[in-house]
This record gives sequence, structure tokens and C-alpha cells, in this order.
Amino acid sequence: METVVVALVKIALMIGGLMTAAAYLVLLERWIAAWTQDRVGPNRVGIPLTKFKLFGLGQPLADGLKFIFKEENTPAQVDRGLFTIAPIVILTAALAIFAAIPFGSVLPKDLGIEGVEQPIQLCVAPAFDVGIIYVFALSSIAVYGVILGGWASNSKYSFLGGLRSSAQLIAYELPLGLGLLGVVLMSGSLRLENVIDQQASTGVWNMFLQPIGFVTFVVAAFAEAARLPFDLPECEQELVGGYHTEYAGMRLLMFLIAEFLHMVTAAFLIVILFFGGWHFWGLTGSSKDEVTWFEAIMRVLVLQGKVLAVIVFFMLARWSWPRFRFDQLMDLAWKVMLPLGLVNLAAVAVLVEFGWDKAENKLGFSPVWAMAAMWGIAIVAWTIAAIFTPLQTDNRPRLEAISE
Amino acid sequence: MIDGGAGMIVAQWPLALATLLFAAGLWLLLPRGGRSGRQAGTGLVAAGLALLTLLVHFGLTFYRNGPSPQWKFAGPLLGSWAEDVVFLALAALTVGSAVCTVTFRSPVYCAIWFALTLLGVGGLFMYQGSQFLGVATVVVYAGAILVTFLFVLMLAQPEGHAFYDRVSWEAALSAFAGAVMVGVLTMALSQAMQPSQVAEGQPTPRFWLETDQPVDRAAGVLNPEHVASLGGRLFSTHLIAIEVAGTLLLVALVGAVAIVSSTRRLDHPARSVGGRAHG
Repeated sequence: METVVVALVKIALMIGGLMTAAAYLVLLERWIAAWTQDRVGPNRVGIPLTKFKLFGLGQPLADGLKFIFKEENTPAQVDRGLFTIAPIVILTAALAIFAAIPFGSVLPKDLGIEGVEQPIQLCVAPAFDVGIIYVFALSSIAVYGVILGGWASNSKYSFLGGLRSSAQLIAYELPLGLGLLGVVLMSGSLRLENVIDQQASTGVWNMFLQPIGFVTFVVAAFAEAARLPFDLPECEQELVGGYHTEYAGMRLLMFLIAEFLHMVTAAFLIVILFFGGWHFWGLTGSSKDEVTWFEAIMRVLVLQGKVLAVIVFFMLARWSWPRFRFDQLMDLAWKVMLPLGLVNLAAVAVLVEFGWDKAENKLGFSPVWAMAAMWGIAIVAWTIAAIFTPLQTDNRPRLEAISE
Repeated sequence: MIDGGAGMIVAQWPLALATLLFAAGLWLLLPRGGRSGRQAGTGLVAAGLALLTLLVHFGLTFYRNGPSPQWKFAGPLLGSWAEDVVFLALAALTVGSAVCTVTFRSPVYCAIWFALTLLGVGGLFMYQGSQFLGVATVVVYAGAILVTFLFVLMLAQPEGHAFYDRVSWEAALSAFAGAVMVGVLTMALSQAMQPSQVAEGQPTPRFWLETDQPVDRAAGVLNPEHVASLGGRLFSTHLIAIEVAGTLLLVALVGAVAIVSSTRRLDHPARSVGGRAHG
């Protein structure tokens, strides 16, 4: 019974926090866009009927109200059932992912709650042994929302947008998985908590150990979250619009929230897998189960702070980089990201096989040398990739495409 | 409660009746032209499935202990209804969407229902503690294979559904085959669930928790180090099978690359001339 109550409280915390975060991240994104492009962002909506502006913090509430009162327009030719289900599918999948994602480490034992003996884990489904694959499975379910939304709209633009988007999402799942696999090999577990514990106990974040895996994963996570430079699913300017062209009102809002939640998921995963999760040197301690209240609170704050930093990086990238063309996108996935991921996997497998961090160290390496070796491999891999696929930013129409 | 399991077999007449009801309902439901009979078919399928549930869940059994055979409910085999509400909901979702998969007209809808079936199967795996299988089912089948199906279905029929896809051919045969399979599965399942030796007054064991083979439990599904034990098994006991499967997939991969590169060379001789760019 207590576990059910605890789980319900955690779910409420998670969903409430995520929904609020999605609303205010939109505001943050608009502020960052305004700052990047040197213009005025939303800064007026405050308390109604007074002159308090509150830096525009009322803007998400006003946006929400606007969406609620908007007409639920359903075009006549759509396939009604699937048209309604598609946004629900994508939002459900995006929310359900967070069941396996820890948002802190543990609470101390001296809680004083009747019947709760164990330290409470700050994760909806702690000790879920396949957490990483679960996240993976649900993000592959999100493809259904995209493809169904595009098809059910019964419009050529939406349909092509849906196919384009789902092709992108499927293609980038491979480098995403390869980036993950290096971390999984190193920590020897599919639990996100164990991945963090491993980094906390050694004090070396995976980002320093696996630079190639980190780059592969971050690029793939950008593409999975459909953020610029990979936001072909949306792409208002060039391609009329994506799979949600025919949507309006709350259904469109569900698609947009799901998109923001994907970004939050990606940020959480990047932080947990490569930036040590809640760990920060000298601040949070490194013990797995024994924490003081100060450490417990610092862990949550450190984790959320890192996630926010990654999200700000996502947003800055959106307003500073141009978009990829579709064939460039696919070339990048299959010809650059996939080989890089395989190189990383092979390198990590060698290091783990020879027990570089164990007592029976067969290589005679210390972790520092292993790190240096990984960076060396990274530089060689990038050089090879650069030589064989030179950087060209020529977006003019291709000649042979015109002549045919 | 069960008083001795020696002479216990699955009740065959209720099983046959349930299978028959299911077959008739499925036959009525399969798309063959008009719309008549679909409601009756839904009712029959529901009745057949309800009877099958009774057989499986309550263990409706047939005793041959005494001189005169007698019918008896063996009591709930899975636990009580309330405890197993998650299991029953998942099972209903799985079977119901499986029926919808074969009876809907639009191939796209069939694929969606099939995806729902796979989600239900994944949920059932998870419910039994087999986390890896559950999640892998969703990743591999629902996430990868079925999406490819959807691509093909959506691209192949942009003008609406062809006649040959709207009608089920050999409706009677397929309904019969499906019903026979469901019946055989039910029989096997309920026999596997019969607790062989249960003392009087003891609660009926839940069949997935109480297996009488300690070896299976040590390496089995309830192990908290689930993935580790699974990996240990795969790469020790089943190493040859893993290697063979891996080699097969590698060969398929190389073959696919070879096919793609040879067709591209024929079709697009001048493709590499222009600015192929990476950012």
C-alpha cells in the first residue's frame, strides 16, 4: 500500500513538473530566440487588470487559455479515429518514458513516514532492470503518432511530412542505440541509476571517457527530438509544414508538448548517461544509498541544473544553425553517425574486455591513459570522417536533378 | 479448493463449445462482403472468449475420481479477479485487438490493431516478470517491423483499398483454423496450470510464481539481476545459436548492401557529380 502511495506521489510530481516545464520552456525558448536575434521577446503578460508585468511570466498561462478556447477544427476528409488518436499516442509515449528516468537519487532514511523503511528512490519505477531499453521502446512508439497523424490527415503535405519524419526518427534510432551501448558496456547495467552510480563512484563522467559516443548520442538525440538542425518534421518555412499541418487547438498543443517533452527526455538522457547524472565533485557525495538531507537536495538540484543547461544548449543550437536538407540528414545518419558509433563501441569493448579499471588490469593502463586513448581514437575517427566526407555547405539545387 | 489432482482433465465439452462459438463468431466477423451478421458475430466471439476465460480462470474441470463423473469448479487458478485485474485487462486487450486485426477491412487499421496486440503481449511479458522480453517485443515488433509494414501499406494504396484487400478469402477455413488453435492453446494452458500436488486447505498456487523447479527460479524471470542472468544464459548455454543467428543477420546485411549498391550504380550513373554535402 505504501509503495502505491509513494509511486502515485512520484507520478504526480513528475507529470505536474513536466507539464509546467513544457509550458515555461516555451517561454524560455522565446526569450532565448529574442536574445539571439536581438529583438524583444514576450515580456508583457503579467497579472491581469494590474500593471504588474512579472517579466512576462504570465505568457504560458495566456497561451494555454488561447489553446483551450481555440476551435477544435476537424477537416472533413480526415480519418476521424486515427486523426484523434495520433496526438494521444505521441503524448502518452512521451510521458510514459519518464517512469524509468530518475529525477534525483534517494531520500534519507529519517523521513518519519509510517511504514516506509527503505530509503525512497526518486524514480517512478526504481530498480527496473531494463530501463534504457524501455526508454528506447517508448520513443519508437512515438513514431506511430507521427505516421498516423500524417496519414489520417488525408492531405498530401501531411502524408509526405509524416513519412519524412518517421524515416528520420527510425534512421536516427540506430546511432542513438550505438551511443547508448558504449555507456551500457562500461557500466555493465541497463539501469539508469546504475549508470549514474558508476560515474559517481569513479568520479569520471562518461563524456570524458567516450567522446565519440557522446557526439554520436547528442547528434542522434537532437534528431530524435526533432530539433534544429534536424527539425524537418516541422519546418514551417520550406515545406509548408509537417505531419501536423491539419491540426488545430488542443490536438496541435499535444503534438507540441510531446515535442518539448522529447527534448526534456533527451536532455535527461544526455545528463544521466554522459554528464554523471546527479554527481558533482565535492558537492553531492558519491555513496549510493547513504545520504544526508543536504546531499539529497543538492543531488536533485544538480541534476535539474544540468538538464536545464543542456536544454538551453538545445535552444541556442536551434537559433544558430541552419537546417539540414533531407538527403544530407540521411547521409549523416547512415554514413557518418553509424560508423562513428561502431568505432566507439569497438573501442569501449576493447577497454572493458581488458579490464582497464579493475584490479586485474591486463593492459597496465590507468583510467587516465584509457581516456587519452579514447580521445586519440576520437581524433583519428573524426579525421577519417572529415577526409572521406568533406564539409560542403552547398545548398544550391543539384545540377543533375535539374537536367533530368 | 482442489481435492486431489490425479484424475483431473480439462473439461472437454465446454472447451469444444467455447471453440465452436468463437469459430462461428469469427466467421461472421470476417469481412466477406455485406455488413450483416457483424453484431451477432461480435456477440458470439465475446461469448466464446468469456467461456474460455471461465475455463482458464476458474479451472472448470471434470473429475473422474468416483464411479460417476462430475463437473466442478476448481476455484480461481490465477488468483482472484481483483488481484489479477491488470492481467485480465492486458489479456482482454491482447485477444480483443487480435480479433480486430483479422476482422477489420482497412489494412492500415489492421496494422494498428496488430500493434496494439503486440503492446498487450509486451505488457503480459512484463506482468510475468520477464522484463527484457516485454520491452524487446515492443522495440523489435511494434517499433521497427510494424512501422515498416505501415510504410508499405500507406504507400501502396494511396487511392483507397483494393477489392482483394477488403474481402477475406476462405473465411470458413481461416475461422476454423484460428479457433482450433485457440482451443488447443487453452487446453495446453489449463493443463499446465493444474497444480499437481496441492494439500487440502492450502491456497491455490499462482502458476507463474510457484514453479517447482528451483533451477528455473534461480536463473529465471524473477531474478532481480534479470538482464545479467539472461545474458549469462544466452552466452553460455545457447552460445552456438546466438553465433549462428548473428552470422545469418550479418550475411543478410551484407547482401542488402550489395543489392542496393549495384542498383544505384545502374540507375544513377551521374549521381556523385554534384555537390553532395554534409554539414
